[in-house]
Order: sequence, then structure tokens, then C-alpha cells
Amino acid sequence: MSEQFEPNIVAFLCNWCSYAGADLAGTSRIQYPANIKIIRVMCSGRVNPLYVVNALQQGADGVLVSGCHPGDCHYMEGNFYARRRLKLLKELLEFTGVDPRRFNMSWVSASEGHKWKEVVEKAVEDARAAGPFDQFRRRQIGW
Amino acid sequence: MDLDKLRKTAAEIVSRDDVKYLLGWRRGTFGYRVAPYFIEDAAGVDELIFSPLCISNLATYLTLVEKLPVPRGQEPDQRKVALLVKGCDSRAVAQLLVEKGIKREEVVVIGLPCPGMVDRELLAEKYPETEAAAEVKWDGEDFLLVGEGGETAIPRTEVLAEKCRLCRHPNPVISDLTIGEPVEPWATADDSGVAEIEAKETAERWAYWEEQFSKCIRCYSCRNACPLCYCEDCILDRLDPTWVNRAVNFSENTAFHLARAFHLAGRCIECGECERVCPAGIPLGKLNRKLARTVREEYGFEPGLDPEAEPFQAGYKPDDPEEFIL
Repeated sequence: MSEQFEPNIVAFLCNWCSYAGADLAGTSRIQYPANIKIIRVMCSGRVNPLYVVNALQQGADGVLVSGCHPGDCHYMEGNFYARRRLKLLKELLEFTGVDPRRFNMSWVSASEGHKWKEVVEKAVEDARAAGPFDQFRRRQIGW
Repeated sequence: MDLDKLRKTAAEIVSRDDVKYLLGWRRGTFGYRVAPYFIEDAAGVDELIFSPLCISNLATYLTLVEKLPVPRGQEPDQRKVALLVKGCDSRAVAQLLVEKGIKREEVVVIGLPCPGMVDRELLAEKYPETEAAAEVKWDGEDFLLVGEGGETAIPRTEVLAEKCRLCRHPNPVISDLTIGEPVEPWATADDSGVAEIEAKETAERWAYWEEQFSKCIRCYSCRNACPLCYCEDCILDRLDPTWVNRAVNFSENTAFHLARAFHLAGRCIECGECERVCPAGIPLGKLNRKLARTVREEYGFEPGLDPEAEPFQAGYKPDDPEEFIL
């Protein structure tokens, strides 16, 4: 019996909305896949697109960036900048032949525990369909 | 092109007290080669040329020049730098002004409407270079090769550089003075290089770029030749945090090329210097043009046209496209 591929997904969540949303999902005992590894950042605008590239280099099969809904940003406009940048990154990854399903972006507010569950399920499903990532994985250096 | 007028104007500008030097082109020492030329006094203008071989973008030197600390008791050199710009080069100057990489009062921009440049490698393939310096001239729409064997007419389509086939702004967008008549913008060719890759399947696209990126020797010529890659503290040189390892292996090469392309998104003015100087022949221009097209088509923004514009990635509109967001 073959085991199902379990992708590693790195999620960058903004402190004010998405992280709180994920927290709400936890305190509300909403079940969602455990493939997601959360990194809290202060704002989705803080996510340098190179974080995404670096995550893929270092072992992620998929990356998810999540922030506040447009207009709700704690810093007024951080998620607008993130939206522009990450759109370009997604286009660039797609153009170079990285499966576009590996990179997802979402808006999840602090009260959307259920939406968080759906987003994670979608991201995991996408990464699973794309398969293990080995396109430009950094090789482990043996000491 | 009226070379006499160009030289006369250049001599006038160089002799001005507030001008440090003038950046232009002169003949190289071999075949079709053309070298950048720093003119410091009026006697030097005789070697100045502007021909279809003057493809290099001199705006690079505005930021490439080393700014040494001023010794105590000395005044900093406030003199201007004059430079010759084609249409694409002038966009680089405009974009540098947008980013405050240079100040307007630091430069004297001499605009040269550009009827299209020759790709030296294409030319050398069809008409091999000899040791004797040869010259190429504009002949109406076409080019005229003047060498040892007399004059040869070359059809425009045969040797026109790729960036010129796609050029939308042959006339300088900013200049203090323009020499020569503005040229009619020509019908641009389809960007077949980008469209060809876009039409492929994901795996085929990867196969293509995998081959390209693995050729990279990480000489960073593309960074150095680019007029808009001028960060004093470049991420490629940083060790803490190490964004991109120095190791030349496929993983780091890919990360480097993604980073380079991304850092030029919404800034690249498509002068094609990165691709021209690449010793490994990686089609970097395709990455840049793909992102430039996304910015142009989806955000209606074109960099390097308005020196007063807001930098693309430092701005936003509430109604930016977000169909990709869950």
C-alpha cells in the first residue's frame, strides 16, 4: 500500500489577522491538515519574495502567504504592497516552470477560523497534486 | 546622423566649467567593437562617434562610478556628468531619477534619437570581424557596413538587435538637448521569445530554464552592466543574512536569477544590457520582459517614462488585480 504524499508547506502569516485567524481555528477545535508550518511575521508586506524562493530551496513543497483583507491592514497599506509583489513573484515562478500551485496567497481575518481551514486544505491539496518539490532544492552539505 | 554637430555640441559642453566629463562612445580596437569613452576636454571629441554599433547603455556609469569620501578640508566635486543617451538609455536615466539614484542637477543629458542598433554578434556571424576596425552606418531604413572590402548594404531585419525590434521608445524621453531629428517609432515585432515560453507546458518551461540557469557562472556581469542594479549593499554580497549562497550550483543559480529578475520587476527599462554582456548566453531579457509586460498590461505602468512617477513596487492601487488570492 502506497502512502499518500504529505507535503511540507511553509505559511507566512501576518500577526494581526491571519495568525489570529489560525489561532481562532485552533481554539475553536477546527480540524485542518497538519502539513502547514507557520511563521509569524508582523505584516504580509514584510514577506520578501525571496523568503518564498528560500523556503522552496530549503525543503518546502509549497508556500502560503496570508494577510489581512485589503483595507484592514494594521499598518494601513502593507498588504497592498504584498499583493503587488507576490503577484509578480507568482508570475515569475510560473514563467520559469515552477508549478503555480506551489505558491498561494490568501486574505484571512482574525475572525475567519473556518476560512483558514479552507485555505489550508486548498494549499495542501494543491501542493499534494504538484508532488514533492525537487526543482531547485538546496543540497544538504555533509560535515 | 550629423557627427560634426554632435562633436561640436560635445566640445561645447565639455568645455563648460560645471561639467566634469562627457560619456560617449568611440571606436574599439578590433572589428566592430565600440568602447565607452570618457571625454574630459574638448580636444577629445574628435574620436566621439554615434553609430549603429553604439549599443551599450552609458547610464550604467552614472551609478557605477566609485564615490570616494571627500578628504577633510576639501569641497566635494559638484560638477555635472554629461552623457549621450539613446531612447532606452534615457529611460534608464529617468528611472534613476524616480528612484533618486541620481539627481537631475548632477547630469547633462544629451538625447540622440535612435533609428535602431545592430547586434554585433549577429553581424559578426554573417560578416566575420577582421582585425581592422570596420564601421556601420545608417542608410535610411537599412545599415551600411563600411570595411576593408568597401561598402556592403545590410537589410535592417537581418542584424537589428532584439531589443530594438521590440523598442517602443526610440526617442529620448528626457534630455537637456537633442541632436538630430526625432525618428518615427517603428512597428514593433511580437515578443516571440516570451510568448514561445509561455505557450509551453510547466515541465517544458522548467526544462528550458533549468538548462539556462545551469549555464550561469555567477560572474554578476548582468548586475554590473545593468543601469538600475546599483544598490550599495547588494543582497548578493551579503553574508548575514545569506539570501543567496556564493556557491555556484544549480539551486543557488536559480535563486539568484529569480532574485535578479524580481528586483527589476517594474523597474527594467528593457535596454538589454544584461543579456548582451552575459558570457554564458542566458536569455535574461526574456525574464525581464515577461515581468515588464505583466506590469504594463495588468497595472498599466511603464517604468522610466516620467521622472516624477512613483516607483512601481513602492506604490499600490486599491483595485490592483487580486484574482490569484484565495
